[in-house]
Amino acid sequence: MSSRHSLEQYFSDADVSDETLDQLLRQARQKLEPNMRFIRRREAAVGITHSPFGPLLVAVGPNGLLMVRYLHVQSTSGGIAILRLKFDPVEDERVAEQVGDQIRRFLAGQHDALGYRADLSLVAGEFQRRALEQLAEVPCGAIVTYHALAATIGAPNAQRAVGSAMAANPIPIYVPCHRVVRSDGVIGHYGGGTRCKVELLRAEGFAIDKSLKIPADAVCGHRQTRIFCRTDCAAARRADPARMLIFASPRSALEAGMRACKLCHPT
Amino acid sequence: MMANPSLILPPPFEQAIGPYERDLMRFMLRMTGNRDDAMELFQEMCLRAYRAYPRLADVGEIRPWLYRIAVNLCRNRARDNARRARVIVDSSANHREPAVDDSSGSQDLGAIRALIAALPYKQREALTMRKISGLGYEQIAQALGCSVEGARANVSQALKKLKAEWNQL
Repeated sequence: MSSRHSLEQYFSDADVSDETLDQLLRQARQKLEPNMRFIRRREAAVGITHSPFGPLLVAVGPNGLLMVRYLHVQSTSGGIAILRLKFDPVEDERVAEQVGDQIRRFLAGQHDALGYRADLSLVAGEFQRRALEQLAEVPCGAIVTYHALAATIGAPNAQRAVGSAMAANPIPIYVPCHRVVRSDGVIGHYGGGTRCKVELLRAEGFAIDKSLKIPADAVCGHRQTRIFCRTDCAAARRADPARMLIFASPRSALEAGMRACKLCHPT
Repeated sequence: MMANPSLILPPPFEQAIGPYERDLMRFMLRMTGNRDDAMELFQEMCLRAYRAYPRLADVGEIRPWLYRIAVNLCRNRARDNARRARVIVDSSANHREPAVDDSSGSQDLGAIRALIAALPYKQREALTMRKISGLGYEQIAQALGCSVEGARANVSQALKKLKAEWNQL
């Protein structure tokens, strides 16, 4: 037998038959399965839906909504890459459509439309998680400043960091990062573009005009005392910023169950 | 970003690895030389690959990527085996099934096997990937972490050596 011939034969010959291989693979998989259980990522339903803001990438995990991503400014693949680090994505247009439907109704003024629970699994940092968790305490119809939100989480000088945390919010609209504005009354930036922020705030009763400022008749209310004041009231300025919410008008503050300040008479 | 973005999901892990499972098992059988080790390493490879799967940027490149994991595992195993010789307590219990169906193999094949086992480790890896698994040189280079020329050289040197030694027998 020539060397060439027998070497070639050796390489072309499947040394191990396919049946034996399959048997080995079956055995290996059987032993593998219990170990895989420990590291298997949970599944997340992923889909693209359409909103007045443009297409949205939506991901829903077993514990709630994981991601809403503005595809008119961000890439689909980037979102998938973030999601895949913790979940195994499965395509599911139906779930995405549900989320899209809720968002459309919300923008049409139905304030209780956002039914999905937010799951902050995709939030990277501890600080960001705290900021977003505290943000959930800001009700629809009220807003806070970056400074106030920073104070709420015990870092009163961290307004910039809070801004970054809001920018990295994986679930905009549901975790209401549009309800955070600048201390000078300008609404500030937004991940999906300022236009989105304006529309979201309008849907929540804030008449934002071209100047991008919160309305002049906005009042600030104290979370604990349930008293609301004009923004220039001396009593309000003395109060802890961490406890102040801003309402669009005296009327909306009254609706939120607050009473008017007896010093500045905001009504 | 796009007017009408489409959702392109990477395939689930099991689906992505499926077409290559047999080849990988075959590769591991050749590299470890026995079934128990090959099976164990195969499982380990699946675990590692699953864990790292999200960080694989391009799923089209999964084949060399899987081989890279396999190669590393086989190297580790070979090194460990060399460091501490196995203590054989009971020869019957520790009898390791050979990797190949020896019944079908002629003496010639046994001799070739011995020659291949004696090759430098990297050449053996490159040769096995080229000839048994049928990977391209670019993929071998990715799996071994060397240049394409390096992969080519390893394979050709291994073949040259094999042929020369075979002719001497």
